[in-house]
Amino acid sequence: MTPRQVVLDGRRLVVCVGSGGVGKTTSAASMGLWAAMQGKKVLVLTIDPARRLANSLGLTEFGNDERRIDLSDVDVVDGGQLWAMMLDTQTTFNELIVQMAPNQETAQRILDNPIYQTMSDTFAGSQEYMAAEKLHDVVSTGRYDLVVLDTPPVKNALDFFEAPGRLSRFFDRQVISWFLNPPKRTGLLGSLKQGTSTVIWKMLGYVFGHDFLEDLSDFLLLFQDMYEGFRERHQMVLKLFRSQECSFVTVCAPTEPSVEVAGFFSKELSQRSYSRGGTVVNQVHLCGDVVLDPQVLLGEQAKELSQDLQDWTAASLVARLGAAHRRLRALAAGERLLIQKVQSFSSGFLLEIPRLEGEVNDLKGLARIASILFDDASVSTDS
Amino acid sequence: MTQQAFDIADLIFGKVVLVTGKGGVGKSSVTAALGRLAAAQGRRVCLVEADSQQSVLAGIFGTPVGYEPKQVAENLYACNVTWYEALHDWVERVVPSKRIVDMILDNRLVRLFLDAVPGNREVVTLSKITWLSEEFDLVIVDLPASGHATALMQSPQRTMRLFNVGPLFTRSQESQALLEHARTHLVLVALPEEMVVNETVETWQTLNKGVPGLSVPLVILNRASRPTLGVDEIALLDRLSAADPQGPMAELLLAGRWEARLEDATGRAIEQIEERIGVKLIDVPRLSQAEGSDALVRALASALARTSERGLKGRS
Repeated sequence: MTPRQVVLDGRRLVVCVGSGGVGKTTSAASMGLWAAMQGKKVLVLTIDPARRLANSLGLTEFGNDERRIDLSDVDVVDGGQLWAMMLDTQTTFNELIVQMAPNQETAQRILDNPIYQTMSDTFAGSQEYMAAEKLHDVVSTGRYDLVVLDTPPVKNALDFFEAPGRLSRFFDRQVISWFLNPPKRTGLLGSLKQGTSTVIWKMLGYVFGHDFLEDLSDFLLLFQDMYEGFRERHQMVLKLFRSQECSFVTVCAPTEPSVEVAGFFSKELSQRSYSRGGTVVNQVHLCGDVVLDPQVLLGEQAKELSQDLQDWTAASLVARLGAAHRRLRALAAGERLLIQKVQSFSSGFLLEIPRLEGEVNDLKGLARIASILFDDASVSTDS
Repeated sequence: MTQQAFDIADLIFGKVVLVTGKGGVGKSSVTAALGRLAAAQGRRVCLVEADSQQSVLAGIFGTPVGYEPKQVAENLYACNVTWYEALHDWVERVVPSKRIVDMILDNRLVRLFLDAVPGNREVVTLSKITWLSEEFDLVIVDLPASGHATALMQSPQRTMRLFNVGPLFTRSQESQALLEHARTHLVLVALPEEMVVNETVETWQTLNKGVPGLSVPLVILNRASRPTLGVDEIALLDRLSAADPQGPMAELLLAGRWEARLEDATGRAIEQIEERIGVKLIDVPRLSQAEGSDALVRALASALARTSERGLKGRS
């Protein structure tokens, strides 16, 4: 698969995965931008709290709503639109409650419940879960031709796959009915049957406090009409991930830890039979492997150009260039070895994006990366 | 106002060090380096990973690292606080009977529930760290990347709000006390890159607001390039680059500009962090050893030792 096929061939969703700090957001935004320039209506969805997508798209901030990006600085085919959104977990969760609750009173009682407040805010996995929710929301309405998801920075790569399920299990019918109908002593037979769960129930009360268990029962009771809805939506997102309409792109940098995470994702994706579009290796340092003599190559010219500067400048700079080149050469050589490793496990395209001079912080910078990503799979020497 | 940074010796002779930072900044290497340095001063140290999927410490020390602290060098131990083991440990301390603990935790529904109960993972992890701090002279925790670290450190507060009595409340109180302890220090690892610097500052702002009693952080700027190129040299570099060089000449100048950019970024990072967090930072240079290797950890440890004014052992 080429990057073009990943983004264009009937795909409705591209999911970018990988460790943090490797330009995942930038890659997601570049892919979205390029597709928009081809005339697609695209949404880039990010959960990164660092707001850097906002900056590179020329927005000072995002809200929890879709904002249209001004593309007047780049060439866009008619109809192409780029939208971006930064997901706010809490707000999304609240909106979802209001939307799914049977009535407004129930919604308000849930929003006021202390357990809900803690859960929606800090609960491990709620970010991932809400990302999936929002995805379901935007993809199912068909408002966009393509959605590019920049996944949240996960503590463990596996969280991306498992956390939503964990939250969904919280709404497991059995767990819930167990809590809503705590075992009661109903005669000798009943107490024999329920002996085990009575002890457990007592112990949970001891560990968590009976007040908490009551709060929890309240909370689950309020939620009971919504469980099915939650579970169904979660199943639909999983189905979407598995479908041919979705493709996963792994993003990494040529560093040991990042390549390791990429390898892990690669394995998980293939085990889950998710479609692997390819791998982007960002921030690659380009440098040949030949020792260069700066004195021979630049000595004369440096002398000529530094006549008005302090007299040691040329000699000093020439020496510094040699040292800098040695360091850059060693770095690039190490990176090449790591990229070979990526090659061994990646599936689909493998693209190297050179580290650009200056940080990518505007639309033009993104377009430049997009041109490397899409023009030609072998283009990687553009400086 | 910029306060004086604490000396690295303050960390080494403290009780608990919590290390966090954006993903990929070298958190684990810094954790291990601080551990090596403290162990060299004769302290009995335990390095802790918080529910790490693939133990980085195991890679560094070349030995598997599990839930129980394992000796990896003289005076130095490492462990990975995996959640299920920590939970078992936790419940065992609350419920005295091992038989009942097993019965509770073997129940599928209870496990599903405990796995999903808000803040449970975080509280259990912090409790384990508290217990380790009673066993060792110094515990150094390699916290997860910033966002998750803030959730972890805010969990005692939140849990105390949720449960007003019972063992969970008591444990959260203990964890909160540990976070507030005068000899508990927070280390933020940063890199001289604009986005990393911004995230470091944001992490500190969140923690400062959300975790009462937390001490001022020590910021360690990793892979720093202290400025060495003078104004004239940079002017000459620009002139040479403007002459549109080709081939190997272009490559040499590219290397020069790369170096100059790193130096420039380091200067800006120091300025930004000191101004916005209000502390002086400690910077350590870029090192040539491979990331995730013990060689790098040792080199980092001696670089950190050199920043101290108190003559630490291992400054080589």
